[in-house]
Amino acid sequence: MYREIFNITLLQNTIRTATPLILAALGGLLTSHTGILNIGMEGMILLGAFFGVAGSYFFESYLMGILFAVTSGIIIGIVFALFVIKLKSDEFIVGIAINMFAGGLTMFLLRSIFGVKGAFSSPRIQPLPDINIAFIDKIPILNVLLNNHSLFVYISWILVIAIYIFLYKTPYGLWFRAAGEFPEALDTVGISSDKIKFASSILCGILCGFAGVHLSLGYLTLFTENMSANRGFIALAAIIFGSANPLMTYVAALIFGFFDALGIRLQGVGIPSQFTQMFPYIVTVLVLIAVVKRERDKKALQAKAGRIDKSQSQAAGNLTR
Amino acid sequence: MKKIKLSQDLEYIFSLALSIVLALIIGALIILANGKSPLTAYASLINGSLGSPYKMATTLAKTVPLILTGLATAVAFSSGIFNIGGEGQLYLGAFAAAYVGFTFTNLPGLIGIPLALIFAALAGGFYALIPALLKVKYGIDEVITTIMFNSIAILFTGYLANYPFASSVGKMGATEMIAPAYKLLRLVARSKLHTGIFFTAVIALAIYYLMEKTSVGYDFKMIGTNLIFAKYGGINAERNMVIAMIISGVLCGIAGAFEVLGNHYRFLQAISPGYAFDGMLVSLIVKNKVVGVILMSIFFGILKTGSIAMEFETAIPSELVLVIQAIIILFIAGEKGFAQILRRIHAKEGVRGDV
Repeated sequence: MYREIFNITLLQNTIRTATPLILAALGGLLTSHTGILNIGMEGMILLGAFFGVAGSYFFESYLMGILFAVTSGIIIGIVFALFVIKLKSDEFIVGIAINMFAGGLTMFLLRSIFGVKGAFSSPRIQPLPDINIAFIDKIPILNVLLNNHSLFVYISWILVIAIYIFLYKTPYGLWFRAAGEFPEALDTVGISSDKIKFASSILCGILCGFAGVHLSLGYLTLFTENMSANRGFIALAAIIFGSANPLMTYVAALIFGFFDALGIRLQGVGIPSQFTQMFPYIVTVLVLIAVVKRERDKKALQAKAGRIDKSQSQAAGNLTR
Repeated sequence: MKKIKLSQDLEYIFSLALSIVLALIIGALIILANGKSPLTAYASLINGSLGSPYKMATTLAKTVPLILTGLATAVAFSSGIFNIGGEGQLYLGAFAAAYVGFTFTNLPGLIGIPLALIFAALAGGFYALIPALLKVKYGIDEVITTIMFNSIAILFTGYLANYPFASSVGKMGATEMIAPAYKLLRLVARSKLHTGIFFTAVIALAIYYLMEKTSVGYDFKMIGTNLIFAKYGGINAERNMVIAMIISGVLCGIAGAFEVLGNHYRFLQAISPGYAFDGMLVSLIVKNKVVGVILMSIFFGILKTGSIAMEFETAIPSELVLVIQAIIILFIAGEKGFAQILRRIHAKEGVRGDV
């Protein structure tokens, strides 16, 4: 039994289940760098999942699915930004509103467009393609682990690195980080911190759209009510764990993904699904506790060394209200 | 001073009315897009929720969980601790009440019902205490933990209702029925309106008194509006936040108990269609004011009950009201911004007028 569960396939599944988390988390860490805590990622993912399925169904094309999901992400990102930045609304309330809106709208459209309640699937829905990388085919373990994943798994890897470079190695990334830390300084050199925040919100919408379309067209080919299953909030925990650094955040996403995948596999051996489904949620709480312990240890060390490295924890600091 | 407050209140009521109207207009556009008449749809919504004593009773029955979870949100949010875990606390409360009801079957209702409510309150309160402690002791964001706790509680009670306490007859994912003595009296024939509404009214009064007339309520609100100032004034913020959170959890637990004792007579694995989230919206819309929570709960009750009739008569899915609810809160969130923009336009026109 042990061998049936803990094997290379588990790690392969981990990569798959971590993907929606890291995609959403990348979006959320961009807004958190610009000083916005986006509670609405959950709803943004859900909208992406729904419109991904809708686009793919109507045009029988996964590309249209992606296009629909991205469009929904851009629109909801603009709405979020309009309210939070232009109207100076409470970002927490706007986030909650977006989540409730997404939940209601997708249920409503599910019934008014597709005439079903709960879930929708159809042979017309085209899933995202799996990508085969020819040269890995021959390498035994790596082939199972890294090859033949769904499209967005590879996109997420590229994005983790691209966003890392963007944030820490380009001037635009500096603007992003400055928009959160020293917006006035940015404004005085003639760069509108509000515009940067706007851009980060829209990017977050797009990335959550990616996460959603991966959920509904990448490893399943259907839409179910509330299929985001609080991944938007788990992504938030991943950002906190990773101090809004893309690489570390991906590590967190892999941890959550591992327990998600483990839960799915344990269902196969007769453990009630209610418990196995709990795994990611329990682990999220435990990880948040671990982060506190880590930060305390770090502070204690720094106090010993007689220095306080402020910039390190700055982005993570933006995550607290 | 009083005058300023009054005019602020009036301004708020005006923008609330405007938000509701705008949301209903957007709803009407969606109905139009579905090829139906908004007037017919809204008429059937009103008629379906207020058209007869039975319908009004059904509407009122819907307000019970909304008021309780709305008050739960109001107490927590105005104290600056964001309990989004109401749904989980409600589920645990519901199960606890059902457990008492199907276990201690020989108790008379006069003892059994209070006992079930106490168990439910303890379950809800305890479940809220954990994230509250994690927040004040370790600074762990309660928004994320309470959301996670929702999923955990819903899954856990789902396990209980499917395995150790599964009903031997009939339904899947349900416990045994509670003993007859536990069933709350129904007030209007065929409707689900039960005596819990009186208890809810008493709780609402108590919360109003707590928040508006006691120093505890004052401290809560002080912490919520200005934490640093509150601490400077010698208020123990951590302790008060924990207390507010426990009260919040207790209220959600009781809301769950009423769903069992007054409505379903057993625990079901999907016993709440998101009451705590609706209650949260209710409270957010009225800025966490007790009187507002009650009025807005009635409005949401009308929307919810009426939407079923609307669906029956016009085939517009009842989920439309979820969209309308979310749009109301979005507009309310943008209230200050809108007002500022309007004022700016006004000012510009004024200047132009002078020239």
